[in-house]
Amino acid sequence: MNRPPGPYRLPRGGSALAARAIGAAPVAARRRFRLDREARFGLLLVAPSLLILLLVSTAPLFVLVGASLFHIELTRPWVGGFTGLGNYAAMLGDARFWHSLQITGVYTLTTVVLQVVLGLAFALALVDVRTGQGLLRVAVLLPMILTPVVVGLVWRTLLLTPRYGLLDYLAIATGLGSHSWLGDSTLALASVILMHTWQWTPFVFLVFSASLAALPVEPYEAALVDGASSWQRFRHLTLPLLRPALITVLVVRLIIALRAFDAIYAATGGGPGTATEILNLYAYRVAFNSLNLGYGAALSTALLLLTLGATLAFGRLRSAVEATP
Amino acid sequence: MKRLTRREMLRLTAGGVAAWTLRGADWAWAAPAGADPYGAARIDWRQLAGERIHILVTPAHYFNKFRAITPEFTRLTGIEVTFEVIPPREMREKAVLDLGSRTGNYASHTADPMYLPLYAVNNWVEPLDLFLDDHRLTDRAWFNLEDIVPLWRRHNTVRGRLWGMPVEGEVTIHIYRRDVYEQLGLKPPETLEELRETARRAHNPARNLYGLALRGFRGAGQNMYIWPSLFRAYGGQWFDHAGRPTVNSEAGVRALEFYVSVLREFAPKGVENWNWPEIMEAFAAGTVAQYVDANSTASVIENPAKSRVSGKVGYQRWPKGPTGKRVTSIWNWAMPVNAALPTRKKQATWLYIQWLASRPTQLRSATFKEAPDAVVRTGVNRISIWQDPGYRSVIAFTRDYADVVLTSLREDTDADWRPRIPEWPDIGEVMAIAIQEALVGRKTPKQALDDANAELRRILRR
Repeated sequence: MNRPPGPYRLPRGGSALAARAIGAAPVAARRRFRLDREARFGLLLVAPSLLILLLVSTAPLFVLVGASLFHIELTRPWVGGFTGLGNYAAMLGDARFWHSLQITGVYTLTTVVLQVVLGLAFALALVDVRTGQGLLRVAVLLPMILTPVVVGLVWRTLLLTPRYGLLDYLAIATGLGSHSWLGDSTLALASVILMHTWQWTPFVFLVFSASLAALPVEPYEAALVDGASSWQRFRHLTLPLLRPALITVLVVRLIIALRAFDAIYAATGGGPGTATEILNLYAYRVAFNSLNLGYGAALSTALLLLTLGATLAFGRLRSAVEATP
Repeated sequence: MKRLTRREMLRLTAGGVAAWTLRGADWAWAAPAGADPYGAARIDWRQLAGERIHILVTPAHYFNKFRAITPEFTRLTGIEVTFEVIPPREMREKAVLDLGSRTGNYASHTADPMYLPLYAVNNWVEPLDLFLDDHRLTDRAWFNLEDIVPLWRRHNTVRGRLWGMPVEGEVTIHIYRRDVYEQLGLKPPETLEELRETARRAHNPARNLYGLALRGFRGAGQNMYIWPSLFRAYGGQWFDHAGRPTVNSEAGVRALEFYVSVLREFAPKGVENWNWPEIMEAFAAGTVAQYVDANSTASVIENPAKSRVSGKVGYQRWPKGPTGKRVTSIWNWAMPVNAALPTRKKQATWLYIQWLASRPTQLRSATFKEAPDAVVRTGVNRISIWQDPGYRSVIAFTRDYADVVLTSLREDTDADWRPRIPEWPDIGEVMAIAIQEALVGRKTPKQALDDANAELRRILRR
């Protein structure tokens, strides 16, 4: 499918190319000069915010990576100093790290897959609903508006409390029986996955709804004329057309899932035991509970690299997808 | 002006007394007429007038009371005090970061005594004898340090020096439904095995009454606040003679087996995520027959506006373990002086701590009504107040409540009930995970403690 290239798809330096094409070098030079001045003025305008951004987000990042190379343990101030990759080497033999990495993997994969599948299903089901779209969207947005900590607490107290929680009530009513949802290792992990899915599926739904609404009608008319079944239309038209949106959703969801923290912190605190202790939570505990700042920094850096790697991989995937016609 | 202030204060206290629904009439002893309780101290309270100090506290009711009466301190000394109020977990993190980076944001905070060894080894806070022994700053006879609950002082003492002043505290005691006990013909249990038996008898989920609840939530101040009492009552020791951890001793395993079995059999579902507020609320709602937790929960479960069981509750010391020992948990909020402050600010901070921990302030704050539904303090820091008939009448939830608390404080534990070493934050966390893993059945008690012990050895390099 060839989409008409939008203005944002112009190759870089497009205006310079155009200038050269009309063969007016002095004009181009003047224009570049003017542009440069404008650019400098623009830079001046954004400089304060850029500086603040550098100070509050980039600088701490370097401090974090720097700290991960040192042995900083507040509980034993007498040991310390540069250890190079010592903290990273310690990670290899740390069973709790591997466990948290595994939990992070399970949590990220299941939430992302569940959210994409459910979000797409809802978007497809509701794409033709004409009345009450506005109301529907507001209703769907609600979970996303909530602070994750609130979500964690609400789920923990109002929904999952044995005997009194709404979900436990439903479980009893449907014959599944009452369970300690956040007290059993497997159920607790399933519960926090459910929480995250509940909160973020609306996001996926919204992106897909918007994309579906913007799809061209012609290919579908052609497909109808050719007698394609609804599955064929979905498989060969809708899905390929949605691919860019799909990749974007995957990347955004992946990042959010990898850096999840608040809702789990509020709902289970990583427990029972370490059953829901994702890498982020473990890094936090090491740094702020056990006061082992160096190792905590190394764990955070590992998470950072993981997120960065996943994002880059998806970025590659996206450009590969966009390159294919 | 000072006089007027005191009158105002008296009036305020009188108002509070009138509003106090339980036993307000007995409140004649709060402020002896005529005497200026602070003027009796032979120090110049105004020597640091103009200083400002900033203090980090938790939103507990006693700190709400302290904050509400702090303007009185400012009038006395000319020192301005501002507060930052955040929940305990976050408060502790902020305090440690402030101390660790030596920014000196918080002149003092409400410290966990278990963290004092860490503070001391890093020289983050000043030993309080520096101020106690300075006669310009402290009138020792007036302040009477020895009157402050000895166990709490010992708990806050590291290498022979006091690092934080107890301003409020608690012990854990056994709290049970007298009416349920009477109905079933039960006697208050003398031993932990008898406790199990009463839980079995009282357990009746069909009628929405569960036998027993204890803290199950993972955390150094949650399940690792209750289980150590069982551990010690079973004869457990944290370390052997060479200083190696021994939590997986036979005593440890049996203590954890007891904890796991009583909770799995007789506690409501979800107890592994319960901290004291959940337990207190369930008990106040009448769905739990008994629990062992802080004595301070009494002021809520005895408040008819908040509890269905007020007036039907019995209190006693911890039941004895197989060793014949009763072991209670101890806790106090310790106020240290941040070492990163300039000298004058340190001194001003000390004046505040001295004022807060002094008998008159402790006495007045005990029943101060900072809000219409305020509860009475059950953790005053002075033995003389605990023995005071006026105070005892206010907290006479049962005839022997005050004695149960006092005796527990005096006899039922020692300062090293939990390991007081700088590595405590790490150790507390490892133990808390092990206890919870055993409770939810991820590991057997033996397995959980073996793993924890190996982890402790790694932490301590022993």
